[in-house]
Amino acid sequence: MAEALLPEGLREPALTDGAITLGELDDRVLSVPETRPPAKWFAAFALTSAISAVGLACIAYTLYTGIGAWGNNSPVFWAFDIINFVFWVGIGHAGTLISAILFLFRKRWRNSIARYAEAMTIFAVICAAIFPLIHVGRPWLAFWLFPYPNQRALWPNFRSPLLWDVFAVNTYFIVSLLFWFLGMVPDIASMRDRAKDPRLKFAYTALSVGWRGSAEHWQHYEKAYLLLAGLATGLVLSVHSVVSFDFAVSVVPGWHMTIFPPYFVTGAIFAGFAMVMMVLIVVRETMDLKHLITMYHLEVMNKVILGTSCLMGYAYMMEGFTAWYSQNQFIHHAFKQYLWGAYGWAGWTVLVCNVLIPQLFWSSRLRRSYPSMIFVAAAVTIGMWFERFVIIVMSLQQDYLPSSWRLYQPTLIDFGILLGSFGIFFSLVLLFARVLPVIATTEVKAILPGYQPAHGGDHDRA
Amino acid sequence: MTEPSAARAWAVIGLFERPEDLLRAAARLRGSPLGRVQAYTPYPVHHLDEALGLRRSPLGGMVFVMGVLGALTAFAFQYWMSAVDYPIVTGGKSPRSWQAFVPITFEVMVLFATLTAGLGMLFLLNRLPDIFHPMLASRAMEKITRDRFALALESSGGQGVDVDAAKKVILELGAQEVEVLPLPAPAPAAPLNFLLGLGGALVAACVLAGYSTYWVIKLYPELPPMSHMERQPRLNAQSPSGFFKDGRGMRPAPVGSVARGHRPYLIKTPEEAARLVNPLPRTTETMEKGRVLYAVYCRVCHGFLGDGRTTLTSAYGAKPADLRIKRLALAPDGTIYHAIMVGKNAMPSYAYELKEDERWAVIHYLRALQRAQDARESDIP
Repeated sequence: MAEALLPEGLREPALTDGAITLGELDDRVLSVPETRPPAKWFAAFALTSAISAVGLACIAYTLYTGIGAWGNNSPVFWAFDIINFVFWVGIGHAGTLISAILFLFRKRWRNSIARYAEAMTIFAVICAAIFPLIHVGRPWLAFWLFPYPNQRALWPNFRSPLLWDVFAVNTYFIVSLLFWFLGMVPDIASMRDRAKDPRLKFAYTALSVGWRGSAEHWQHYEKAYLLLAGLATGLVLSVHSVVSFDFAVSVVPGWHMTIFPPYFVTGAIFAGFAMVMMVLIVVRETMDLKHLITMYHLEVMNKVILGTSCLMGYAYMMEGFTAWYSQNQFIHHAFKQYLWGAYGWAGWTVLVCNVLIPQLFWSSRLRRSYPSMIFVAAAVTIGMWFERFVIIVMSLQQDYLPSSWRLYQPTLIDFGILLGSFGIFFSLVLLFARVLPVIATTEVKAILPGYQPAHGGDHDRA
Repeated sequence: MTEPSAARAWAVIGLFERPEDLLRAAARLRGSPLGRVQAYTPYPVHHLDEALGLRRSPLGGMVFVMGVLGALTAFAFQYWMSAVDYPIVTGGKSPRSWQAFVPITFEVMVLFATLTAGLGMLFLLNRLPDIFHPMLASRAMEKITRDRFALALESSGGQGVDVDAAKKVILELGAQEVEVLPLPAPAPAAPLNFLLGLGGALVAACVLAGYSTYWVIKLYPELPPMSHMERQPRLNAQSPSGFFKDGRGMRPAPVGSVARGHRPYLIKTPEEAARLVNPLPRTTETMEKGRVLYAVYCRVCHGFLGDGRTTLTSAYGAKPADLRIKRLALAPDGTIYHAIMVGKNAMPSYAYELKEDERWAVIHYLRALQRAQDARESDIP
């Protein structure tokens, strides 16, 4: 094993605090759905549900009256709807990064947080999908986006990045759901075998599709997991690239840039890790999982946040450089707008929250303290939302034709829907935490110390 | 051949505490004549496939083939739709510019490949869902998914496993516990009932959904938000509109704005207007235009013949002028033009209704009317 060849300081530390047996792991993780949630959980769920209800009411109002309920105006045709879409899709990408890319890199610390991160991917994509759907105005006709034979004898425009987006996001949702479900099948089988109530047992049996954990099952399963990880890696990089094409393929000054795909993907991972971080801290503290999600896990994630923050800083610099080097007065104007325009404070918020504040994580003490983690994660979440605001609204506000320049002002309905999407996201996260195994027990079992036969082929096979 | 007297079972399962023990036992039991050797573990144990001599999973090849198929499907469909069936030039590119099809080709390739990897693994290779498998009824299963490692000799071909011989072998290999799983009943009743119930529920759900959809569509053909913009605010003639607070449907022109083609009319008195000259030539087109406009704006009061006698007169207090009288027949064009512009007695101004050349056309027609009503003997040819 390559790990053993590394000097002491570079080796991966133990991934659990203290020795833990296979049975103890099940008792700790799988007992959660078997017990009644505490009053605190109900209080939290009531709060998030109420917030979701506000958002849903605002969405219903929008559907009834039309998109005029929003602040979108003539040059700023894309505003909160598209900002929130890009924001939430980005949040989802952290889950795929943890579950797929880190799996390919054989980063074993991912195992105990992968399940939660994957669930967050699903929920974030659900939140994201709301926005383009209501943005089309008449969502009951959204099926027009798909190429099906129809009496109008028309096909969708396959040269439009917006249609690429439809395919990318739908594929992403299906693949994430499949990845999440497959990972959960053996865990649900464990829950099935713990269940006492025959009805519950039957439900779990059906949900685990009768998983038996035979050697053949595992052999195909591991192969499938590896293939899915490889495919999901390519997919996650393509999805946010395609999202960035929505902008980069157009000719709006400030959007038409080749740096957009990698810049968007990095930003997505950055924002997603911050969100995973915040949720993990709460889960770790309230669900007695400190032994499984250790400070080491949090610290490694903080390093990822620091690294992606530096990449974001580089991307912002390159955007500025490209604008200057282009010698194009329209792009010059767009970039001056970002920092010194009517919403210039938003541009400065982006720089401070995304580039400056995460630099705190150079200190290992701050990487391991809750207050600084929450502070940085919250700052990154706010900063990344404003980054999309700056890119979308400020670029549209003042484009080529000065006579059509117009300032954008969001309405209360806009804010209500944004708030509601957070409510929906956290309601789903809370439900998940009490209903399904929050830690991939089979994956963690496979990396518990002493539970794999010695490597290297020198063990007794006679 | 099997002895008929010996006890037979569907499987004999031995449980081990450590994965190493399982590996060792699996390698030794491999190829046993007693039955099919199967291992069950709570998580994937490395090298177990080698110990059992399992063949490599064919999933990689399946996924590759389906991925290629997905890419070809997506590309062919896009090409056919955008370049053959309904070619459109977008952004000045040829309808055959294939580069734009790459993103969707990639996404569909990933979709086909992942569905093959995930569902192919579960349904084809692992032969799931199988929620009535005999193994699931064993007591050992509860321990296997928790923390035990099991090695089983399973019946192949329905003959059953020789219980005593299998027990002996498995205990010799160091199993801590042994469980004997009896041969299952030949026709399990539970699945049939379950499937019938499920099918019945599905049919009932379809019928219910069909009927409710039928009635909803019948009773509410167009629900408010889905009415395809059939009902929308609009301006009705002669009635106040809700568009603006003052009840008007359109905004008045801003103060000081001048319409295109508009010329200010500065003349105050008919005497002053008398010097205006009709600029239009007296042609058939002008006469026709004047006739139409007279019919629209003037006839309702001044009558077909310009005699001021219409049905309106009895209902309306004022008496419209008889345009045939000598004073008006001799009046210069400019005087009549002035009356159209500023009104006369009860007659309001028609400056907004008629444009400048239209006013003059009406005057030409009026002259023709006056002349026609003043026919003389000498007019007969």
